[in-house]
Amino acid sequence: MPATWAALLVAAALVAVGGVAIRLRVFLRYPWRPEQAPARGSAAAGVRYAFTAGMAPWAKESTRIHLPAYLRGIVLHTGIGAGFLALLFAPWQAVVPAVVRWTLVGSVLLGALAGWLGLAARLTERHLRAVSTPDDLFSVALVSAFLTAAAAAWWDARWGPAFYLLGAATLVAVPLTKIRHCIYFGFSRYYFGLFYGRRGVIGGVQHE
Amino acid sequence: MSEVVNTALEVLERSLDRRLVAALEVCARCGICADSCHVYASEPKPEHVPASRAERVRAAYRRRHDPIGRRFPWLVGAADLTEGDLDALVDTAFATCTLCRRCTINCPFGVDTALIMRAARAMLTATGRAPEMLVMLADAAIARGEQADEFREVYREMVAGLEQEAQMRAGDPTLRIPLDRAGAELLYVGLSGAHTIIPAAIIFHAAGADWTLSMFEASNYGLFLGDPAKAKAIARRIVDEAVRLGVKEVVLTECGHAYTALRWEAPNWFGGPLPFQVRSIVEVLADYVRDGRLVLDPSANPEAVTYHDSCNLARNGGLIEAPRVVLRAAAANFVEMTPHGKEAFCCGGGGGLVAVPEWFEIRMRAGRKKAEQIRAAGAPVVATSCENCNLQLTDLSGYYGLGVKVTGLMELVVNALLAAKRRQALPAAEAA
Repeated sequence: MPATWAALLVAAALVAVGGVAIRLRVFLRYPWRPEQAPARGSAAAGVRYAFTAGMAPWAKESTRIHLPAYLRGIVLHTGIGAGFLALLFAPWQAVVPAVVRWTLVGSVLLGALAGWLGLAARLTERHLRAVSTPDDLFSVALVSAFLTAAAAAWWDARWGPAFYLLGAATLVAVPLTKIRHCIYFGFSRYYFGLFYGRRGVIGGVQHE
Repeated sequence: MSEVVNTALEVLERSLDRRLVAALEVCARCGICADSCHVYASEPKPEHVPASRAERVRAAYRRRHDPIGRRFPWLVGAADLTEGDLDALVDTAFATCTLCRRCTINCPFGVDTALIMRAARAMLTATGRAPEMLVMLADAAIARGEQADEFREVYREMVAGLEQEAQMRAGDPTLRIPLDRAGAELLYVGLSGAHTIIPAAIIFHAAGADWTLSMFEASNYGLFLGDPAKAKAIARRIVDEAVRLGVKEVVLTECGHAYTALRWEAPNWFGGPLPFQVRSIVEVLADYVRDGRLVLDPSANPEAVTYHDSCNLARNGGLIEAPRVVLRAAAANFVEMTPHGKEAFCCGGGGGLVAVPEWFEIRMRAGRKKAEQIRAAGAPVVATSCENCNLQLTDLSGYYGLGVKVTGLMELVVNALLAAKRRQALPAAEAA
């Protein structure tokens, strides 16, 4: 990887880390108001459920009836993870074992496909279009392009510049665009598990 | 910026805590929540998608708190709040959202849209846009608390009349409805209406409970308004009464939101756990059945009975098994609705909608999904443990021609209890 691209990517990564840190600092400055009522169930069991069985597609009616959309999301997010790994290991692309290389290419390619399909759904499905903001369309398009470029660059190194440029753009976009939902995902699931676990609705433990 | 908008934004700022901010930030607008909302399921319009419902509040939040929203609002769906937005929000937050949280359990992120809608209700209440009826009912409850001594004698006379009715129905002249009795184990809080007091009196008498009746009603319209000050003032009447009488627990009648208010929210308003236990009569009934304190004859309720889970009791309160324990003991043929428990659909009458006459048509349309469920269950009797659900389901039965009888759990238990009592008395009478 040429030094200029490496410098750009490091700068973009610093913007991402800094942006995420600022977001987290701002978020944690808000008060935490835990429920004061005695628990009926177990908060710990609820949180465990929220991050494990509660994530399974069969755990929710919405994901049972919209399984393709749910799987599309899972594939996209797995692809994004693979895309960042592909970016991280790009300097050692030539020495990466073939099995790892093609696993990465497969994951990012599937992720890209899921992303483009998701974008098409946002543009064509009336209700999805109505709830989408320009940021939603931009963010999905950006990560889909990033993943497409990742697959292309790991297939053929001549696509490297496009991959690095889109990688840098995606990194910068993490704290600034809708992609930032990844920062709050853990908190949101944690509060979900805490709320319903304490109330004995999920997690299977009741005290009363 | 107008004074009204300023007030609304101040309320929003005060509401912001980590749970609310996470709910505002994390939504990816994937739209997977749509079908989980009973309003959307009945009327599939874009504005009924829960993600869309919360967008008005999110737009105002982003405009003030998001760095991109401050500079390029059009890009991230940020917008300055206007009085027009607030007017539109009345429909979104009060008329077409019952705060049932079915979208929350169906969201892959667990976005708490009800929390956002409650913040919206608080903004609307603070700017004088809350439904007049809800405000009036909340204020009337507070006034009753302030003038409790003036009501006491009138109420005592009324309770004496109810006691006679309960004695006649139970066929037991020793039955009492104690009022204001210090040192009782439990304080029972009913609703305005004999139907929540007479069955409870018969049940407590049969179970040998050490109880006393509250001067006040369980309902708390401050909760619906998203107004913690009013909600606390309404709850305080019961809290003070329970402390004054020295009871060990407060038992709430069959009322979903009253349970949410006193069991789960009041400790937040008062800054810590209450000095007594709070339970729903549904839990008490289940314990009486499990402990054998009530002898029931299910043949007294021979028709098939299905059960509608109140969102406040089940999905948001964890009371899912208790009503089923009671129903399996009190009814000969209990059949489940699909889906039920934490996945049950809201009836469409929650969140205070039932109290607002001009929203009748809205809540009837929103209840279509529930009406379909009831029809599919095929039971002629629908039991529920919430007064608002009861009213809504009764209206739905008429509106959709379901022809079902809607009843509370206590009523079924009293039928089964008195039938068992008659059966026990029969051999004794024959022997005599």
